[in-house]
Amino acid sequence: MASKYIDIFLREAEEHVSSLQKGLLTLEKEPDSAALIHELLRNAHTLKGSARMVGLEGISAIAHRMEDSLQALEEGSKTVDGDVIDLLLQGTDAISRMTAAMGRGEESPVDVERFIAAFDQGESTLEAVAETAQQEVEVLGDTVRARVKTLDTLVNLIGELIINKKRFEDKSGRLKQIAHEVRNAGLREFHAGLEEDVLYLDYLIQELHIQAMSLRMLPLKTITDGFQRMVRDLAKAQGKEIRLEIVGETIELDRVLLESLKPMFIHMLNNAVDHGIESPEERTVRGKPAKGTVRITARHEGNSVRVDIRDDGRGMDPERIKKAALRRGVIDQEESDLMRNDEALYLTLRPGFSTSEIVTELSGRGVGMDVVNKNIEKVKGNLIIKSDVGFFTEMTLILPLTLSVIEALMVTCGGESYAIPLSNVQEIIKIRSDDITTVGGKEVVSVRGMTVPLLSLAGLLGLSEGKYLVESGKISALVLKLRDHSLAFTVDMIEGSSEIVVKELGDQLKNVRYVFGATILGDGNPSLILDVPDVFAAAERETVGGIRRTFEESRVARQKGSILVVDDSITTRIMERSILVTHGYRVKTAVSGEDALEMVSTDSFDLVISDIEMPGINGFELTRRLRSMEEYREVPIIIVSSLSRDEDKRHAIDAGAQAYIVKGSFEQGTLLDTVETLIG
Amino acid sequence: MAKEAKSGYDIQSILAEMRDEYWQGLTEVEAAQEERLECVTFQLGEETYAFESVYAVEVIRIPKLVRLPRVQEIIVGVFNLRGGIMAAIDIRPLLGVPQAPFTAAGRIIVLKSDRFSTGLIVEGVRGVESLSVDNFEPAVKSLAGVQREFIRGQISSNAGLVMLLDIPKLMASPEIIVNR
Repeated sequence: MASKYIDIFLREAEEHVSSLQKGLLTLEKEPDSAALIHELLRNAHTLKGSARMVGLEGISAIAHRMEDSLQALEEGSKTVDGDVIDLLLQGTDAISRMTAAMGRGEESPVDVERFIAAFDQGESTLEAVAETAQQEVEVLGDTVRARVKTLDTLVNLIGELIINKKRFEDKSGRLKQIAHEVRNAGLREFHAGLEEDVLYLDYLIQELHIQAMSLRMLPLKTITDGFQRMVRDLAKAQGKEIRLEIVGETIELDRVLLESLKPMFIHMLNNAVDHGIESPEERTVRGKPAKGTVRITARHEGNSVRVDIRDDGRGMDPERIKKAALRRGVIDQEESDLMRNDEALYLTLRPGFSTSEIVTELSGRGVGMDVVNKNIEKVKGNLIIKSDVGFFTEMTLILPLTLSVIEALMVTCGGESYAIPLSNVQEIIKIRSDDITTVGGKEVVSVRGMTVPLLSLAGLLGLSEGKYLVESGKISALVLKLRDHSLAFTVDMIEGSSEIVVKELGDQLKNVRYVFGATILGDGNPSLILDVPDVFAAAERETVGGIRRTFEESRVARQKGSILVVDDSITTRIMERSILVTHGYRVKTAVSGEDALEMVSTDSFDLVISDIEMPGINGFELTRRLRSMEEYREVPIIIVSSLSRDEDKRHAIDAGAQAYIVKGSFEQGTLLDTVETLIG
Repeated sequence: MAKEAKSGYDIQSILAEMRDEYWQGLTEVEAAQEERLECVTFQLGEETYAFESVYAVEVIRIPKLVRLPRVQEIIVGVFNLRGGIMAAIDIRPLLGVPQAPFTAAGRIIVLKSDRFSTGLIVEGVRGVESLSVDNFEPAVKSLAGVQREFIRGQISSNAGLVMLLDIPKLMASPEIIVNR
């Protein structure tokens, strides 16, 4: 039988085996599902037929027995119970072992006759499945892996534990303060003990977390196993000679991550074979060995895993890529002219891009790399492309170890707390107005010699701007990176980094923009996790900017002068304050004449607004006393009062006030006009 | 228990009999009465609204709501419900009710559909009441189109008119789901 057909069968068998395994485990939970039994029956039946077609009688025989058994279940002559499921799972495993061995060109590890005899008796078939104890453990391991839900619950519970531990830490911190304030030695000692307990708890949780996570981890090998054959076949079909080297297959990653990695790897290997490695003749002409090399290298790098896929082929030509992108309308001429060569490589990630002149069966259909890009974004990873024309192409994937717990930088932005994946944070900077320049209408700052666009994160997210840091003349900004792009975003405040548990937002909010999940803070409130790729995409679309305007407003406020408002009525204080603040004045308030006198001794004001009737000294007296002070001889004073008699007005002017406003006729305009007339 | 049995009568069986009679009595009364709907009743604006209590999971005080970036006005924010993230919705714009700020009486009624759970913010919960279906009147024509969409009709009860909300329709409505 031609090996081509065997290969096809093996691939088909893999699918059926996987559906059988999954289906049987579901059936155990839902024994009454007739649809499921029928589906399993179909799987076994197809397997039996296909195996017979390619002459694999052993597999066909086992599938046949399984089919009979499932048929009995469908007809109701047998009921679904643990034993039947076990037996069927053993059958599935036996087939899986046989196909796997065949794929590796090894002998079948299953004694089919003994297996079927045991199967028919409803006995354990384990004896019929061979030899190596090591592999038995793997089969057992599979059953554990199937109960992924339990593992997920475990990991979630540990997540809750981490959140709870944070609360303990917060409370312990508060207790420390209290102990300090009340100066109680006993309490301090108690706190020291508690702190130690919390530390130990922290250590235990970390250990527990690592152990639990390791349960969900699988080696990279689980997805790279078929690659050798795949690359060999692809190369052969194109008349190329390619060696695939894989280094670091034992590196472990989260199971969920691995699942989404496989299609990416296949795309990139396709590209390497199809576009990268040249034909042996061409390679010889260029003085390269006729046999090309594709190398996958995986290694740990900090808290992430770095996977390089490098081929020593013709490399990626930025000029050709630009031309192709132009032709396909992915970019326009202006963009093309401005684009650096290293940036041009990333054009291949855009939807609708493909450079291959001939559409081949393998790649060159304009899909592929954009899929890779989407997947990378989905797993919160990073993709870096490097190439030297004529020598090599290297795709580097930076992947998180897991998706359920990430390191994040906590920031406040527009009054809300946000978590930003640390893998996207390049650095934190403080900027002044002078640091900002404008390029093409967009605000930019210089970060280590690189010009980086500056945007307001709150503005981009549609939140109200927090401005209080601007008063100090400086504002905090984060430089975020995505692939080779950097953008700087202003935020209200940076709280520090923290390990956070990622929670999904659910179906109702699945399509929400700019965030991909939430975490729960120590105080029990949620904090949204920023979706950096989405934010970058939005930053390109929209121009928000205007950070200098914020600085400008704050500068004007400083120039516009400061005002002291004196009134015993809180309503009046708040009203006057808000009117003045919205018009750019800095305002402080005092609740009485005495209070005001105290404040003028430490602060300097450009104008004073006072009520007349207050507890303690009244407004007239306050005016007189201010006038007697050297620094306040010339400072304008406005009296705002509900007293409207001319006598009172005269009294005020006599005391030294410049203006008198009656509260009854009090409106925004009058007060503002008066203030502006006096101090501008 | 053995003692009672010997003394000639079994207190347990007598109690059981009484209980049966009691329940039978209740069912008879129920059967004689008109059909009733068990509803959660609550305030929105000046009006009282209701929906069948089967759709409600629980009622909680309004916790801190964290705003979501650039979503429709209906979705006010998210909150933590025992470790899960849930959205809170203010459906007053859908009902043409003015959006006064929520006070301390404000509550969130957690609603559940087969796709997701969400928190409905209300100005106050009156309670769980059994409303008579006989007094049901389908949505009046005077209501605007959007309002009619989510109001099935009104039921007059002792405490005045109650608007009956169509929860399955609300939960399936794109108005409360974030869409790009």
